[in-house]
Amino acid sequence: MLQLLNLIVKFKDYAALTLLCIISLALISIGDVSKIGGYRAFVVGTIGWLEEAFAWVPNPDALKTENRAVRELNLYLSSELMKSRQALTENKKLREMLDFKQGIDYNLVSAEVIGKSTIELREYITINKGKKDRIARGMSVRTDAGLTGIVVVVEDNYSLVETLNNRQVKISAKVDRTGIDGILVWGGSTYFNMMNIPRSFDVKVGDELMTSNYSRKYPPGIPIGKVVNVEEDKSSLFHKISVEPFVSFNTLEQVFIIQYISDPERLKLIQRMEERLRLLKK
Amino acid sequence: MNRAKQKTNYAFQRYIVYALIAIVLSLIQFSLLDFVVVQGVSPDLLLVLCVWISIREGRFVGIIAGFLIGITLDIVSFDLVGINAFTKTIAGFIAGSFYQEGKEQLIIHGLKFLFIVFISSFVHNLIYFFFYIKLSDITFVSFFMKYGVAFSFYTTVFAIIPMLVKRKERII
Repeated sequence: MLQLLNLIVKFKDYAALTLLCIISLALISIGDVSKIGGYRAFVVGTIGWLEEAFAWVPNPDALKTENRAVRELNLYLSSELMKSRQALTENKKLREMLDFKQGIDYNLVSAEVIGKSTIELREYITINKGKKDRIARGMSVRTDAGLTGIVVVVEDNYSLVETLNNRQVKISAKVDRTGIDGILVWGGSTYFNMMNIPRSFDVKVGDELMTSNYSRKYPPGIPIGKVVNVEEDKSSLFHKISVEPFVSFNTLEQVFIIQYISDPERLKLIQRMEERLRLLKK
Repeated sequence: MNRAKQKTNYAFQRYIVYALIAIVLSLIQFSLLDFVVVQGVSPDLLLVLCVWISIREGRFVGIIAGFLIGITLDIVSFDLVGINAFTKTIAGFIAGSFYQEGKEQLIIHGLKFLFIVFISSFVHNLIYFFFYIKLSDITFVSFFMKYGVAFSFYTTVFAIIPMLVKRKERII
């Protein structure tokens, strides 16, 4: 300690100079440094030069920080990429739907599928349009691909749609190529079965089916699906025809409600006929 | 013992005189010196005092005096606090390096005093203006000539006055 003091006394000039310079520079640094542009430029330049000179020395902490930042950026960009892809797909789908909407005669109301439910083994979808959008019970629902179902319950802002993949649903369909009519029912899996087509009638794999003019529920001419298999059953008089629907019921997102209800007079006529038959049976 | 006490008292009186001169020179620096500014170049009277003290009292006292004069100047001039303290401390150190015990009067009366003032002022000004002026705004030669040579030369011219006064006192 004494030696240190002796040393300081011996070099008191330099010690005083160093101390006072440090105090002065400290005072400068706590002042308004924006005034001293030259000094700041010099300091920044010197630090930059030193950093460049020692850039080759690995800094684990800086590398760790940089790595974390890059990872975060990567995550953000991946998320953005995913969003872009989704937007692209959605855009493409909407464009297709728009084109389709322009080429159709019926008045269509577009809606989004907001829910799916199964009630008593029946499949339903919920859409975000209701009475306020002039949606009514009995209106058919379709996508740009084809027939999807029918509106069964309507509230002010929402509606429930019964999809075609229900065993109770029967669709009057016809083969587009030959005009042969039949009844289409869901087979319980991916395919539908076309009933009541005699073996002598011309039906081939690849034939497309659409709603028939005889249908009481659906407007005519809506695509339904295509024939994927025709079996010749010798024990039966009819073909066993499997039909693949155009609509993928598991990936429904956007649908159109066709503002069309069958002619009430026609429906009344059929009801009267059915009642008369029931009375005759009794 | 009495002699040592006398010596201390004499030194103390000298420091008080330096302080008074510093106050007077500060007043002159801020009030009258505007009249002698030429092309933006003005003399630094307090720097001359700082050099004077360093040559009379030695390097250590010169450093302390430089710092105290500088910090006072910073405070009264509303300059960035620390800049004058820093530059005048260095000027005091440089001037104090020329201190020779017993030859103080000889140095002050001679041309060497002017030389020391010029050197100290030159370094002082280069550092002082280096803080304020970006070298990207001015060429190095212009910076060197104006803020180094011109300012120092002008300050040296004013240093002739105390030198001549002292010389006259000696002749009388």
